[in-house]
Amino acid sequence: MQRFLDPAVLAGISSLDLLAKTVVDGFVAGLHRSPDFGFSQEFAEYRAYTPGDDLRHIDWNLFARTERMYLKRYRGETNSYLTVLLDASKSMEFTSGSGAKSGVRQPSKMDYARFAAASLFYLVIHNQRDGAGLVVFDDEVREAIRPSTRSGQLHRLLAGLEQAEPRARTDFAKPMKHFQELVRRRGIVVVISDFYEKPEVIVKAIEPLRFHGNDVVLFHVLDPKEIRPDLKGPAVLVDLETQQRLEVIPEYTKVAYWQKMDGHIEQLRDRSQAAGLDYHLLVTDQPLDQVLRQYLAIRQGGN
Amino acid sequence: MGFLTPWFLAGAAALGVPVFVHLLRRQTTTPQPVSSLMFFEQGTQSSTRHRKLRYLLLFALRTALVALLVLAFANPFVRRANAGASGRLLLVVVDNSYSMREGTRFADAKRGALEVLGAKAGGQRAQVMALGAELQVLTQPVQDAGTLRAAVEGIQQGDSKGNFGELGHGLRALAETVHTPVELHLFSDMQKTEMPGNFADMVLPGNVKLVLHPVGSGVAGPNWTVESVSAPAQLADPKDKRRSRVEAVVAGFGTPAVAKMVSLLVNGRTIATKRVDVPANGRVKVELEPLDVPYGFSRCEVRVGPVAGGVADAFPADDGSVFSVRRSDPERVAFVHGAGDGRSALYFGAALGAAAESSFVLQPVNVEQSADVDPTRYAFVVLSDVGTLPSILENSLTQYVKGGGSVLVAAGTSSGRRGKIPVLGADVLDGKYYSRDAGDGFAKVAQVDGTHAVIGDGSDGWTELKVFYATRVDAAKAGARVLVRLGDGANGTPLLMDKALGEGHVVVLASGLENLTNDLPLQPGFVPFVDRAARYLSGEDRLGGTRVVDSFVQLRTAGAGQSGAGVEVVDPEGRRPLSLAEAGSIQSYQLTRSGFYQLRFANGKDGVVGVNPDRRESDMTMIPEDVLKLWSGSGGPEGAPSGEIAAKETPMSLWWWVMLLALVAAVAESVVATGYLGTQREEA
Repeated sequence: MQRFLDPAVLAGISSLDLLAKTVVDGFVAGLHRSPDFGFSQEFAEYRAYTPGDDLRHIDWNLFARTERMYLKRYRGETNSYLTVLLDASKSMEFTSGSGAKSGVRQPSKMDYARFAAASLFYLVIHNQRDGAGLVVFDDEVREAIRPSTRSGQLHRLLAGLEQAEPRARTDFAKPMKHFQELVRRRGIVVVISDFYEKPEVIVKAIEPLRFHGNDVVLFHVLDPKEIRPDLKGPAVLVDLETQQRLEVIPEYTKVAYWQKMDGHIEQLRDRSQAAGLDYHLLVTDQPLDQVLRQYLAIRQGGN
Repeated sequence: MGFLTPWFLAGAAALGVPVFVHLLRRQTTTPQPVSSLMFFEQGTQSSTRHRKLRYLLLFALRTALVALLVLAFANPFVRRANAGASGRLLLVVVDNSYSMREGTRFADAKRGALEVLGAKAGGQRAQVMALGAELQVLTQPVQDAGTLRAAVEGIQQGDSKGNFGELGHGLRALAETVHTPVELHLFSDMQKTEMPGNFADMVLPGNVKLVLHPVGSGVAGPNWTVESVSAPAQLADPKDKRRSRVEAVVAGFGTPAVAKMVSLLVNGRTIATKRVDVPANGRVKVELEPLDVPYGFSRCEVRVGPVAGGVADAFPADDGSVFSVRRSDPERVAFVHGAGDGRSALYFGAALGAAAESSFVLQPVNVEQSADVDPTRYAFVVLSDVGTLPSILENSLTQYVKGGGSVLVAAGTSSGRRGKIPVLGADVLDGKYYSRDAGDGFAKVAQVDGTHAVIGDGSDGWTELKVFYATRVDAAKAGARVLVRLGDGANGTPLLMDKALGEGHVVVLASGLENLTNDLPLQPGFVPFVDRAARYLSGEDRLGGTRVVDSFVQLRTAGAGQSGAGVEVVDPEGRRPLSLAEAGSIQSYQLTRSGFYQLRFANGKDGVVGVNPDRRESDMTMIPEDVLKLWSGSGGPEGAPSGEIAAKETPMSLWWWVMLLALVAAVAESVVATGYLGTQREEA
């Protein structure tokens, strides 16, 4: 099943619904085979009775056997809300072309972000029975679907993803205030973007979401060729967002660019973690299970 | 520099293709999109320059490839002087004719030749030749100085008469194969007599520069020589005053009028001496007698020497003239005639007896009594108009001729009735009676072969001969050589024919010897004719007498096939120059040295001949200066300064080199273009 999580394979699936189902089902099936990881909503632990505890929670069967009172604790079944903030700027359209494996086309960063979001939505709504919402933004909020547990929410979210075509530029500061209005309920906020902005600007814009008690995760989506471009000769590069042209030489990309990009990622990670934000780098040629695994980890930690 | 096919240069328009490709393709470079230029820095200047450089290299290679291909088809060539200083052939020719024996001429010539060879450049090719009666090539064109020096030092003094015509002829033949300029150094005494009759024969080809090196004092000293000797080759009776004498002509070249002593030496012994007054630059005839020689071959010499206190001879080597005399009893000649024919024997016998240089005794034999005649006992046999010949005699005559004997056949009216000429075997067509024809009543001679020994120089009055009857013989079918031909009809009736048969000869006179069928016996040329015919038929002229250097002596009859008998030649130095294989097959031998040659012919006869250098070599007069200038300037092109030869320029095609460069350009273009196109794919 692992191969169904390969982004290059998933790119061949046109329906996001099917894609998300494929990813999540494969992922969950994989989880059940893992002895190290599991969760239950029924029994959690025993705790000694202390005065003031609700007597309804005392395990009387245990008292009968041991004449000691213990409280039987269960995992609370709470509803959590997932809100995905999807960057749909023009830079997300970038792809490094056909994938190295089997000649299948490498998905663009936008596609990869869609797959990730769709998989999360499916996992959250179908498996967790939680609510989920979507905010698509570039330099302003283009579309917002409020988190909800209503039936048909998944369909709406997937349709929103389908319509989220890359355009315009990224600007975190401007749509920020809208984020805070849209994300009122406490839950998990996932920001999927390529974060072509200064790390301090990004953290400063996203940090306020944390103040609402949200768990905020930054999924930094990058194409492998963005991290390690290998120009074989001098080339004219065009910025997808600004259409600015620049002639560069391969010697630069092999040394200075690598250092700058690595520094950017490192700085973003450090600043995010300093601000209490989770940061994860997603490379578009890696499987999607990392996204789901990260979500579940946070979800579990939130209980 | 030029082009053999310049119209292919129109293909240079194809140069527009790489220009088009590079100028337009550079404009349509597809920019490469990236998410953000946030982390990129501008490398415009350096990268653009880099790209331009790279493109320019590719562009230059492509342009060069097209240009070279066009150039290759246009077939360029350069005019290359086919010889520089080192490419010029140095040709050293040393004259080794007889006159070079005078003084130190020959040594001077060799020393000069060695100096010229020593001064040549190391890489220059040189060739050594020796000039005598013919041009001898001693080396091929080589650079090795040792070989060339050895060749020069190995040149021997010769006895031949030099001939500058041979030099011109040889170099014209050389110019057919050697196209490089030739620098000809001629070391010679520039003797006037070495010039050919026609100056054009000694003109050199255009690529030959002639440098003359005259050797000798320049002014010829007085030189006396025995110009000619007239002596009987065969002598029967030394006391015969009419024959036993030697006539010599003493000549002086550049000489004052002085008295000289002329001596006759026989086998090294002086038997007669005479004092003569030789006029200035003139000739004098001397008679020395008696010629008292023993039986067999005697080696005789006539020498001219100074009287006491006389003027010294500048060239003593030519003061003697050698000849050989064979003393023997008179040889018999069988004269077979018809029963009623007594006149022919009379005429022929009288003529034979009157001949000065030969001694034969005629023995008339009636044809009816000739059956038991043994031809081998006779010097030769004459068949005078025999109608019928005993078959035993005819058979023995045939064997006799094949063995080396000779027969003279006079085919008179009786022979006309026979179907064939005896011994010769030629068919008789018919008998032609000119006296019965209308007109003069006789036929005259129209054609005489003056090169044959029987005819001599052709001045014996053959043209005055009247022929009343001639037997028409099919000479062509018989393979006989026609010596005299009559003027009748379209082809003319052969009157005198000769055919070699085995080792011997058959001479046929298609008329009689009796003064009836022609008036030959009454002609003044009859005695010389009989004399020469007798000597020719007896082979005496081959056995002895005198020859000139470089003349040939016939040892074996041509066409006789290879007989088992070997010939033998002993030259004046006592060496045998013939190998065994040559002795079994050689037909003639060239007498290249002066002195006495001992010969043994294929028919078993021995002979001794005296060989003298050509007396023209004794005239030391040099070629006039203006003639020499004309000659040395004859090699250069017209109008060119004397002695300077414009080196011939030959076009050398560069096609191969241009194609090679095009191949290199194509490979380089492929390498560069592969890198470039890789970048293009990357950018796409």
